[in-house]
Amino acid sequence: MTAISLPRALPAGRTLGAAILAIVAVFALLGPVFVPGDPFAQSLMKSLAGPEPAAPFGYDHLGRSLWHRLAHALRLSPLIALAAVATAGAAGLVLGTLAALRGGWTERALVVLADALLALPGLLLVLIVLAIMPGTATGFWAGLSLVLWVEFFRLTRATARATLASPAAQAGRLLGFGWPYIFRTHLWPEIAPLMLTAAAFGTATAIMGIAALGFVSVGMRAPTPELGLMMVELLPYWREAPMALLTPVLATFALLLGLTLLAGGHRT
Amino acid sequence: MTLLSATDITVRDGAARLVAPVSLELHPGEPLVILGETGSGKSLLAQAIMGTLPASLRATGTVRIGGCTLLAEDRAAFRGLWGRQIAVLPQEPWLSLDPLMRAGPQVAEAHRLVAGLPAAAARNRAAEELAALGLDTAAARYPHELSGGMAQRVAIAAARAGGASLVIADEPTKGLDAARRDDVAALLLAALTRSGGLLVITHDLALARRIGGRLMVLRDGAVVETGATSAVLSAPQAAYTRDLIAADPESWSRRVAPSEAGQAVLEARNLTLSRGGQRLVDGLTLELRAGRILGITGPSGCGKSSLGDALLGLLTPERGHITRARGLAPTAFQKLWQDPVAAFPRTRRLGQTLRDVARLHAAPPERIGGLLERLRLDSALLSRRPAAVSGGELQRLALLRAMLANPRFIFADEPTSRLDPITQREVIGLLADLARTDGLAIALVSHDPVLIDRVCDETCSLPMKRGEHDTLECSDLLRTAIG
Repeated sequence: MTAISLPRALPAGRTLGAAILAIVAVFALLGPVFVPGDPFAQSLMKSLAGPEPAAPFGYDHLGRSLWHRLAHALRLSPLIALAAVATAGAAGLVLGTLAALRGGWTERALVVLADALLALPGLLLVLIVLAIMPGTATGFWAGLSLVLWVEFFRLTRATARATLASPAAQAGRLLGFGWPYIFRTHLWPEIAPLMLTAAAFGTATAIMGIAALGFVSVGMRAPTPELGLMMVELLPYWREAPMALLTPVLATFALLLGLTLLAGGHRT
Repeated sequence: MTLLSATDITVRDGAARLVAPVSLELHPGEPLVILGETGSGKSLLAQAIMGTLPASLRATGTVRIGGCTLLAEDRAAFRGLWGRQIAVLPQEPWLSLDPLMRAGPQVAEAHRLVAGLPAAAARNRAAEELAALGLDTAAARYPHELSGGMAQRVAIAAARAGGASLVIADEPTKGLDAARRDDVAALLLAALTRSGGLLVITHDLALARRIGGRLMVLRDGAVVETGATSAVLSAPQAAYTRDLIAADPESWSRRVAPSEAGQAVLEARNLTLSRGGQRLVDGLTLELRAGRILGITGPSGCGKSSLGDALLGLLTPERGHITRARGLAPTAFQKLWQDPVAAFPRTRRLGQTLRDVARLHAAPPERIGGLLERLRLDSALLSRRPAAVSGGELQRLALLRAMLANPRFIFADEPTSRLDPITQREVIGLLADLARTDGLAIALVSHDPVLIDRVCDETCSLPMKRGEHDTLECSDLLRTAIG
C-alpha cells in the first residue's frame, strides 16, 4: 500500500533544500575567488560603510569586508558540523549495531551511557568540553560529537534490533552468512535512509549550537569570522547598519532551512 | 421478497477493475456464502454492498435494502443503514471490542445509541440478550477476560442491538482452529432468524459446508459458479470450483509413509523451553528421521515457533538436550517462514539473493536453474524484489534458497497459512516430494489438523498455554506420538 502512495519523483521540499545548500556552498567556496580580499583586514575609515565592488556586502564596525567574513564563517561552522556528524554517525552506527547484536550487559551499559548524556542539555556538554579546549574548532568538534552520537546510536539500535530479529536476517544466519554480509544486505538498507535524515538534522543542530555559543561569546573567539560571533558584534549597530546585521542572520537561516528541508523530505 | 439485492456491482481502482459486474440476492432465512481465495475480490464486493470501501476505490451499481434503493458510489447514503439494517460482524472480535469497557455496557451502549432505548431499558435488553447467548457471567468482564468464542458472541450481540435483520460476516473464522470454526458457524446460524438474512464471506470450505444455504464462488472479481451450497460442493460444475475443492486438505489422499525409516537427523530429549518467563514446552522428546515428516499442531501461542527455534539452534533450551547427527554442516538445518516476504532482504532482487547463497555454498549457478525447473518457477521472477512476487511463488523461492544450502532438515513454520488452497496444495506437495526424493527430515507446523493428518508420518501436538494454572494442567496433557 505504501509503495503505491509514495511519489516516484524526489519530493519538492528536498530539491529546494538541496538547491539552497548548493547556493550557500558555492558562495562560501567561490565567493572569495571572484572578489579577492582579506576577512581580517581592518579599515576604520570604512566602518559600517555600504557595499562597493571590493566588498559586495559592505563593511562591519571595524571596516572588515562582510563578504569575506561571511564566506569564511560559512566554511567554518559547516565544516565543524559535518566533521562532528560524521564522527557521531560512525560511532552511533558501530555502537548501536554492537548493542543490538550483543544484547545483555553491553547493550545495557551503552543505553545507560546514552541516556545519561541525553539527560544533560546538549549545549552544556559542549561548554564543558570547550572549557577544556577553549575557543578551538577541535573543542567544538569533540563536544558536538559527544552530543550527537546519542541520536545515531538510538536510531541504529532500534532499527538493528527489529531487523536482526526479522525472519530475513534469521534466514541469513541459518544459511551460513557472516555478520558483514548480514550488515550489508539487511541492516544498512534499513538504517541508511534514517541515518541521512538524522545527519541533516544533526548538522543543523551543530551549526545552530556553534552560532548560539558564539552569540553568547563563549564559542569561537574574535577575530575569527563565525556566524554567531558576527551577529553579536554587529548587534549594537543595528540602527546604523541593519543590512550588516541581517547578512549573517540570513546566511544562518538559509543554511538551517536548507538542511531541515533536506531532512524533512524523507518519508518511509 | 428479497432482503437485499445488489445489481451490477463493480469496483475499480483507477483503470483496473477489481470486481466485475456482480449481482446477488439475499432471501430471508437463507444464508448466502461467498467463497473465494485471497484476492478474489470477495471482501471488496461485501464492502461495496455495505458502503465501506476505502476512499481510493470506486464502486458502481445499485443496492436495494429493505425499502430503499441506493447507488453504490454514494457511500454516505449507506451510513444510515449501518446497525439498523446491516450488522457487520468483525473479523477479530477481541480487537473490535473496547478493551476498557465491560462486555455488558458495550452491548447496552449499542441498544441506547443505535436503537435509541432509554438507559435502563437498554441495560435490561443487553442483559437479556447476553443471557440468551449463554453469557450471563460475561457481562461484568472486560474483553481480555473473555475467551475468543465469548468475545465473538458479545460482538454479535452488540452488532445486532440496532435491530438489523441482515448480518454480514467477513472471514469470521480467520485464524481459528477447527473446533472454534464449528462454534462460529453454529453461532451465525443461530443468529439467523426466520426473517433475517446472513451473508458470509470466506475462503474456508468447511465453514461454507456448515453454513449451507446458497453459494457463490468468486475468482478475480467474477462469479464462477452459483447454486445451493450442498449441490455446488458435492458436484461442482466449473473447473475452478473443482480445483478449489480438490485443494482442500479434506480431499487430499493420505501420504504413504516411506517403509523404512531413515537415519536420525535430529533428536530432542526432555526438552523444556521458556520464552519471556513463560514455560512453553515441558519435557518434550522427539526424533526426526530422514525422509519423514513430523507434524506439529497446537493453538497459536503454544510454542510451536519456539520449538522450531530450539531445534534450529536459535533458542537455548532451559533443560534437555538436542543432538544433531554427526557430520552435518550447521547450515543443514533450514527453516521456512509463515510470511515469505519477510524472509527475504527487502531491497535486494531475488536472483541476487539466490546467487549469494549459491556462491556461499559453492554451488554452481546452474543449480539455481535446475531447482527453478523442479519447483516449477519462472526464471523471470529472479529479476524482481520480494514484494513484487506472489506469496505462493515466494514460498517456493524460499524453499529453493533453503535447498541451495544442502539441508537435511527443514522446519516449515506454517508455510502455507497465508496461501490460498490451490497454492497450499502445491507447496505442501513439493515439500513432501523433497522429503521422499532427497531424504529430508521435515517438521511441518500447521493449525489445520486435517492437513497434518494427510501429509505427516507422525504428529506432535502442543497444548494451549494460558497463565500459570493452565500450564500445570497442560504439562500433564502433553503427549508426543513419535514413531
